[in-house]
Amino acid sequence: MKQTVSVVILVIGLLSVAVAHEGPLDEVTLIPQWIPQAQFAGYMVALEKGFYREAGIDLTLLHGGPSRAPLSHLATGKATFATDWLTNGIRQRAIGQPIVELAQIIQKSALILVARKDGGILKPQDFDGKKVGLWEGHFYLQPMLFFRKFGVNVQVIPNYTSVGLFLKGALDAISVMYYNEYHTLIQNGLNHDELSTFVLSDYGLNFPEDAIFTLESTYKNNPDLCKRFVDASIRGWVYAFNHQNEALNIVMKHVDDANTPSNRSHQKWMLAKMKELIEGDSSGSKIGRLNREEYMRVAEAMLEYRMISEIPPFDQFYRGMQ
Amino acid sequence: MKARIWNHIIFKLALMVIAASSVVFGFVLLYSYTFSKEIILKDAERRARYLALSVARRIEQEFRSVQKAPLGITAFLETPDSDLKKLDNLILRTVRDHPEVFGMAVAFEENTFPGTLLHCSYYYRKDGQIVHDVQTPETEDYHREDWYHIPKILNRPCWIEPYYDDTAGGVLMTSYSVPFYFVNPDGSPGALRGIVVADVSLKWLSELVASVTTVRDSQFFIISDTGRFVTHRRPEFIMRETVFSLAENFDDAKMREFGRAMLREGSGLAVVNGSPMFPDGAILAHAQIPSPKWSLAAAFSKDALLEDIHGLHRETLVLAIVGILMMLAPSYLVARSIAKPLRKMAEAARKIKQGDLDIDLSDVKVRDEVGELAESLTDMSRGLKERDFIRDTFGRYLTKEVVSSILESKDGLKLGGEQREISVMMSDLRGFTALTSNMAPEDVIKFLNRYLGSMIEILIEYRGTIDEIIGDGILAFFGAPQDLDDHPARAVACALRMQNAMEHINALNEADGLPHLEMGVAINTGAVVVGNIGSEKRSKYGAVGAQVNFTGRMESFTTGGQVLVSQSTHDKLRDILDIKTELQVEMKGVVGKINLYQIVGIRGTHEVRLSDKCYKFKDLDKPLGVCFYGMDSKIIDEKMRQGEITQLSPTSAVVRTTDSIGQWEDLRMTLCDPVYEGFGDMYGKVVSIDKTNDYSLAMIRFTSVAPQIYKVFREALAAENNS
Repeated sequence: MKQTVSVVILVIGLLSVAVAHEGPLDEVTLIPQWIPQAQFAGYMVALEKGFYREAGIDLTLLHGGPSRAPLSHLATGKATFATDWLTNGIRQRAIGQPIVELAQIIQKSALILVARKDGGILKPQDFDGKKVGLWEGHFYLQPMLFFRKFGVNVQVIPNYTSVGLFLKGALDAISVMYYNEYHTLIQNGLNHDELSTFVLSDYGLNFPEDAIFTLESTYKNNPDLCKRFVDASIRGWVYAFNHQNEALNIVMKHVDDANTPSNRSHQKWMLAKMKELIEGDSSGSKIGRLNREEYMRVAEAMLEYRMISEIPPFDQFYRGMQ
Repeated sequence: MKARIWNHIIFKLALMVIAASSVVFGFVLLYSYTFSKEIILKDAERRARYLALSVARRIEQEFRSVQKAPLGITAFLETPDSDLKKLDNLILRTVRDHPEVFGMAVAFEENTFPGTLLHCSYYYRKDGQIVHDVQTPETEDYHREDWYHIPKILNRPCWIEPYYDDTAGGVLMTSYSVPFYFVNPDGSPGALRGIVVADVSLKWLSELVASVTTVRDSQFFIISDTGRFVTHRRPEFIMRETVFSLAENFDDAKMREFGRAMLREGSGLAVVNGSPMFPDGAILAHAQIPSPKWSLAAAFSKDALLEDIHGLHRETLVLAIVGILMMLAPSYLVARSIAKPLRKMAEAARKIKQGDLDIDLSDVKVRDEVGELAESLTDMSRGLKERDFIRDTFGRYLTKEVVSSILESKDGLKLGGEQREISVMMSDLRGFTALTSNMAPEDVIKFLNRYLGSMIEILIEYRGTIDEIIGDGILAFFGAPQDLDDHPARAVACALRMQNAMEHINALNEADGLPHLEMGVAINTGAVVVGNIGSEKRSKYGAVGAQVNFTGRMESFTTGGQVLVSQSTHDKLRDILDIKTELQVEMKGVVGKINLYQIVGIRGTHEVRLSDKCYKFKDLDKPLGVCFYGMDSKIIDEKMRQGEITQLSPTSAVVRTTDSIGQWEDLRMTLCDPVYEGFGDMYGKVVSIDKTNDYSLAMIRFTSVAPQIYKVFREALAAENNS
């Protein structure tokens, strides 16, 4: 009953690549915000292909999971870098955590609401009075804005790591990631045409998601290291998109290693979706960048929803490519 | 005539046996295969259904017994004022009393366990002992776990999706969670107070499924209510793949449909005829395990099911092939018993074709149709031998009609001699023998063949039987072997036609520079002996007797263009003959004068008239001198006499001579004038003599005239005409 995921430290490819960077390697640690899956393929591939070593970085890739808040790992010094949603980063910064964003990896929101068509939810207005399972914390933001936009009152039920409640019929709708849990529902035997989907980014709620964070002190002491880390990570992503089969093999190694109950076809779906989300509407030219307007749009929505009491200045928050 | 192998009867028969028996065996095999396949598959369907249902029922029992475990604890917790200090002991006892349970826990809602925010008491088995563990918010926030959260929201007991439990050392586990409630003062259930959970290891499940795998290449698998594999022959699928992820991986829509049926229907059956996941086809039966709403499937590979009948039919096929090959032996023997004698008979027939009638088929001893054929063939060669004998006998001079009529009649084969009245005809070319001595041999043959060809044709037309041809002479008769009532008339008509034909022959001869010739024909009717004359080696059908000899003598009295008939012939045709003259001659060996009649026509059925050859004599202004010699029996008399031609016609001349000359004398003549030196001879017969005191005027009928002389004659005649 204890679904604890043991932390496995991966040190992969130590001997296999040529070292381009002069001098001793910088030892750094990355904590992704969730369990090993294709959502983090870029980092896994960069590690496996030696892109970090070429950038002078000796990376330790930790396993994320439900009980490990990535941004807390920065504060406690357990990790040098962490990935998390932009909204969570803003929230943490707003409450005084000394973190900075180095790169905005996922440009496009993949958060969607999904309902069984036979449950009667076919359009946004149908949500009124329904039981909707939502993840807690910053995951609330977009769905609640969505419900407000359409003036519907829903009965929110907290939902955690699984889609079990939805499958057992206890919920009329749940929030899922299009690249992950939506496909899990398909692999649980639900058909696409049996499901109503509401892609929140289609309703003016495109909040960028996964971003790379570090402590402000780390950035100030070694901005070059931060830049090298981000560049090598993006290089890993681009390589993964161009060599999806090879990338999938690398991802499955990490999946197997963590004994994650997942399978290759699921990871394949996820990697394909990652490409769309990371390249965004700019088809790749904007990879890793966060612009001020987007930041302000998200922060203002959070302020309005009282998730934060003030907006952290953009220039202090974002230290990545302009 | 070498037959190619496929034209041999043995080959053909063998081929036919193989083809026919292959078709029969093939049909039987196919039928048996289809039929037994159907039976086996139907049976497999039944078995799959039964197995799926019975194993599912068996598993259901286990789940039911686990479901009973938390009942005591929830009853305790829902009893008002129950002493929670006794709770741990109760959990421990329950775990001990339920060996099928791995561990049990009682977890409370926030602030509902006295003294703590969260409280969870957990007893579980470890190394044969039952150990205790208490979870608090510091150790784990169990509120977020499915085992707690799902029954809490559902408000009812439920089974939880299996998971690998680290506490139990990575064993696959599932949990049964039962919510318990505060009890209102009136006894009705109030707010949720917590969850009781019983953990079960699923090791026994895999072992149970493994133990019922009775059929080769059959497989059982169990999926949870999310479609995830809980047991599968391939361990790497367990928990990681769902039946739908595999279907996606293999792009197998049928498998996805089957998975959906497993989750939605109590039980069912699917027959897959080749899909990406079951390329060899499979029979799939599924049955639900009701408590956790999991589903079990029994899959039978069609290939494995059909392996036995595949093997059986493979062996049957081999036996069939051996059988067919064994059938080749008798069919070879039968074919050979036909083909061998047939080859012998073909050889015999070839010999017959080449004229060798001595065939020996005595070693063809079979008594069937083939034997009959051999016997017939032997009979045929014997018949042909007789036929050949007849043909040799009659030569080429009978009409086909006659030959066939004789061959067809059985009497025709008996050719003994017999006395019969027939009409005998004899003809020859006057002066031919003497003439040929000066001719080139090839001219002689050409000349003769032209003449004989024409004559034979006419003879055959009148159904004459040619007895003999000697040089230019023809001996023929009418009325034998075939009986002909009108043989005298036929003979006369035939002779007249032959004479008429001479005109044409002479025209052709003249054009070729060959001599002008005249033919004489004599006909006599009388009784002669006819029959086969000669030996086995060479024989002919001929006539002998005095009347034949008499005809020969008659013939020597003929001159060119004449047809003479004897008294006996004349008597038979008295009324229809046109007689030109009546002659009285003396013959050696015959007493008294003999009457001969020169015929120029016959009336009645065989009406023929001699074409008009009554040429007028022309007086020659300048008589041509002739030297002539007497001829006795065609031997030229050297004693030369002289005279001159005073009158001339194309066939005759009047010679005035002072030398002696006798009637019926045959003469050889040359033109005396040295101008005509080397112009050749002419022959003729003295047909009448006018004697005066000073000279004799002899009428000579030419029998042959050398071409150059004939030319001279024609010029003379032409000159006379012009004057």
